[in-house]
Amino acid sequence: MTTTNDIEEMIARMAIGDRAAFEGLYAATSAKLFGVCLRVLGNRAEAEDALQEAFVKIWRNADRYRVNGLSPMTWLITVTRNHSVDRVRARKSKMGAGLDEAAEVADSTPGPEALAFAASDRGRIVDCMGQLDPDKAGAVRRAYLEGETYQELADHYDVPINTVRTWLRRSLLKLRECLSHDG
Amino acid sequence: MTDEIEKEDEYALTAEYVLGLLTPAETEAYEDVLSVDPELREEYAFWTERIAALTDDIAPVTPPPHILVQIKETLFHERSAKGDMATNGKSWLQRLGLLPAMAGGLVAALAVLWLFTAVLPPADVPGAAPIYVAQIASADESLVVQASFDAAAGNLQVTRAAGEAREGRVLELWLIAGENPPVSLGVLPETQSGEIPVSPEIALALSGSTLAISDEPPGGSQTGAPTGDVLAVGQVIDA
Repeated sequence: MTTTNDIEEMIARMAIGDRAAFEGLYAATSAKLFGVCLRVLGNRAEAEDALQEAFVKIWRNADRYRVNGLSPMTWLITVTRNHSVDRVRARKSKMGAGLDEAAEVADSTPGPEALAFAASDRGRIVDCMGQLDPDKAGAVRRAYLEGETYQELADHYDVPINTVRTWLRRSLLKLRECLSHDG
Repeated sequence: MTDEIEKEDEYALTAEYVLGLLTPAETEAYEDVLSVDPELREEYAFWTERIAALTDDIAPVTPPPHILVQIKETLFHERSAKGDMATNGKSWLQRLGLLPAMAGGLVAALAVLWLFTAVLPPADVPGAAPIYVAQIASADESLVVQASFDAAAGNLQVTRAAGEAREGRVLELWLIAGENPPVSLGVLPETQSGEIPVSPEIALALSGSTLAISDEPPGGSQTGAPTGDVLAVGQVIDA
């Protein structure tokens, strides 16, 4: 079983060019990160490309990972998610406005398995999301997991962009209030 | 009261940043503050940790084996056992068109020999003279960095002759080869001089390229492209 410390150690060794550490990290985390690419991109070929590019970034930025004070798995997920979102947005802008297939690919509602992770070390996001109005929680998921912009959220919920921003910001503050009680 | 509103704004902005909801201009402004404000970095870490937990219910899916092969080809120029040369996995020798020529005789063999002595770090030739040098300077010469490629060590030696990073910021070095987008060579050391390791692929791209230095948040650009001002540029010339 690979622990957080193991992953941290592998990233530290990658920063000094240790290729074996890279292979170890890949073995331990690629399935999770590929799952993230698939979720965001909803397309296997694109997810494969995104995963490759994400790992290239991870290798090249291994020496910088500590800067933002993130735990190693969060850092890996953030790099992978952000890269996948960049790809989604590049694809959408290439396809032009209106052709928004990506939104239909993934189901935004948390499945029952989500609840099983509620006790995860990284907090009680699922619990706290459950306390939000379903539309608001859905918007947070759409933004994070599908890379939707305020404009897309406004289109989806059929409200003006300023309105969506106002209600989402309010919900995010509520979410923070709940999250900060997780000790 | 005002403080409270400011705090709330900071919380909401950070969440929007983590969710990728800010406009490019807002993102840039946010990152400017993030790079100098430790409290904001704490807030950023708070949100990022928790929002990333939204991926907890995403099931792991084992990627197909060719993915790792291709990553290793990209990063380490390792060829797969099957000699799979598909897609962007071409070796750098191939890209130079030298592989077919190798069958062609002495000239090609010499070319390859030259390439190896020029580009690959021969472990037992210490202190070989640099092949490429560059002076990367701002227009007013308030920032001047000298770079020379040490083929023996596979390093770019960099010396900051003038100027330094702004407080809470770093200087990041970029390679611009032809029409290609800038490739990060890494953050310049805080010390006045130091080394930046260079892969064989980058070494091959050095000749005739341009080096540039940009102003970036600590740890360097997170986007893979320069995010701050480009402060200095310089041509790579053969030494």
